[in-house]
Amino acid sequence: MNDARLTSAATVPGGNGEPMITLEGVDKYFDDFQALKSIDLVVGKQEVAVVLGPSGSGKSTLIRCINRLEKHDRGRIVVDGIELSDDLRNIQEVRREVGMVFQQFNLFPHLTVLENVTLAPRHVRRSSKPKAKESAMELLERVQIPEQANKYPGQLSGGQQQRAAIARALAMEPKIMLFDEPTSALDPEMIKEVLDAMERLAESGMTMIVVSHEMGFARAVADRMVFMAEGEIVEVGTPEHFFENPQEERTKQFLSQIL
Amino acid sequence: MVQFYGIDIFTVVGGKIVEHHYQMNDNLPPFVEGDVSSAKTSWLGHPSDRPDVIRIILTFSSALAGIVVVWLVLRLAGTRIAPRYSRWVAAGVAAGVAAAFLLVLAFGGVGWSSWGGLLLTVFLAVGGIVLSFPLGVLLALGRRSSFPAVRLVCVAYIELVRGVPLIAILFMGAFMIGFFLPVGFDTPSLETRALIALVIFTSAYVAEIVRGGLQSVPKAQVEAAQALGLSPLKTTRLIVLPQALRAVIPAMVGQFISLFKDTSLVFIIGLTELLAVAENITKQPDFIAQGLIVETLVFASFVYWVGSYSMSRESQRLERRLGVGER
Repeated sequence: MNDARLTSAATVPGGNGEPMITLEGVDKYFDDFQALKSIDLVVGKQEVAVVLGPSGSGKSTLIRCINRLEKHDRGRIVVDGIELSDDLRNIQEVRREVGMVFQQFNLFPHLTVLENVTLAPRHVRRSSKPKAKESAMELLERVQIPEQANKYPGQLSGGQQQRAAIARALAMEPKIMLFDEPTSALDPEMIKEVLDAMERLAESGMTMIVVSHEMGFARAVADRMVFMAEGEIVEVGTPEHFFENPQEERTKQFLSQIL
Repeated sequence: MVQFYGIDIFTVVGGKIVEHHYQMNDNLPPFVEGDVSSAKTSWLGHPSDRPDVIRIILTFSSALAGIVVVWLVLRLAGTRIAPRYSRWVAAGVAAGVAAAFLLVLAFGGVGWSSWGGLLLTVFLAVGGIVLSFPLGVLLALGRRSSFPAVRLVCVAYIELVRGVPLIAILFMGAFMIGFFLPVGFDTPSLETRALIALVIFTSAYVAEIVRGGLQSVPKAQVEAAQALGLSPLKTTRLIVLPQALRAVIPAMVGQFISLFKDTSLVFIIGLTELLAVAENITKQPDFIAQGLIVETLVFASFVYWVGSYSMSRESQRLERRLGVGER
């Protein structure tokens, strides 16, 4: 794929065509190591983008820059019309629009599942307690674990914990959801329940960026797939393009290893 | 007057007030009057004739027996009334204490100079814990602050205080605090100065314990809170501190037990706390005649043990209660 075609594939938003997340020439360094090299990517409203690539290719760093868990060193990141800057208020505003689900769930172990889900609505959006609880129970029903509401995270299976983490992120009613290898820490029999919850979320029209190697999920849900290696976006395309007709040598090699 | 092996318990507990009574009246308490001769003929013999081991065991076991009786009564009462009314019982105890204070105040108050014995020990220990805990937490947070000036002040305070013996800080508290107060302020009482010294000392150790706890909270927890849009302050208050503090309960309680026993050091600046009262009693002529020195000191030690062991038990209970669902 030549550069011009790559750029157009990466920067023409999918979904309904309106840009939701825009990255322009984003660089990120960890000391001397360059983790992201001039990333250009536009994700559209209601689009589901699946990011894949070998470990250390910068996938996680990419999505962590979008809600400022990592600070990018060069370039622009615009989320729903708000450009990320050093201003804390600005960052908080972006974080309120962006939900994130982590590989290791990162639920708060000292709070019950219900308290985990109601925490942000209560303390960031200042919802009343009964209202926060009511919407939390709705979300827990959506991810099909309402009966676990009063348990502590340590008492749940991995799959249940990850679904609780999805409910926690959704409680802020974000416009965008970021998933950082959400099924990588799960036992095989629990992966499906989490992917099902994510698939239902995608069907509801949520804008999603998913770092994952679950190819079945990508094929079924992704609008676009983004292949990264060594901090660069190497290839962007639809799942059909990726699985049937990959262009780049590195993409072919990677896919042959994981399929 | 409650007599316990010839030790006037009220004297040990209440300190100077009763001690004063001996000096004023110079009367031997009724138990003691006939005792010197009669004790010799009792089957246990005169206290000073018994081997020390027996004396220690006798004192300790009778004190323990008393505790067990009290515990059994509370336990039996507790199974009937707790847990439905435990909150009311606690409220009742608190109200009782408050009422006692108000009553004392209503009658013109008891000056600091009358504080002594167990009352002073408990005042210093409880005051020390209540004040040094928040101060220690603030110092620990300050040591991790992103403002270099705050960090520097906290590190300097912690390292300076930890490098000085408690006795030195007590002396400085006793003699130097007055110099640092603005003109027009009265120098606080010696008891208050002792409390300030204990708080200064303990808060530095609490800060280091809390810092250990803060470090044990994974960075991912902070990231999860940030991703939800929680402000740095709320992330610390709602996510980091609760996890850090529960991780350090054992070390923290150890520090507080230490503080409780270290209050006995305030005798060197002239305060008469529990142990000093016990020591003073053994110097009374009538006590010397009875040879009850060992019993007195063992009893005073037993009071410390009861306090320390209660704290230890309470911390275990707290750990169990908070440990639910711990990863």
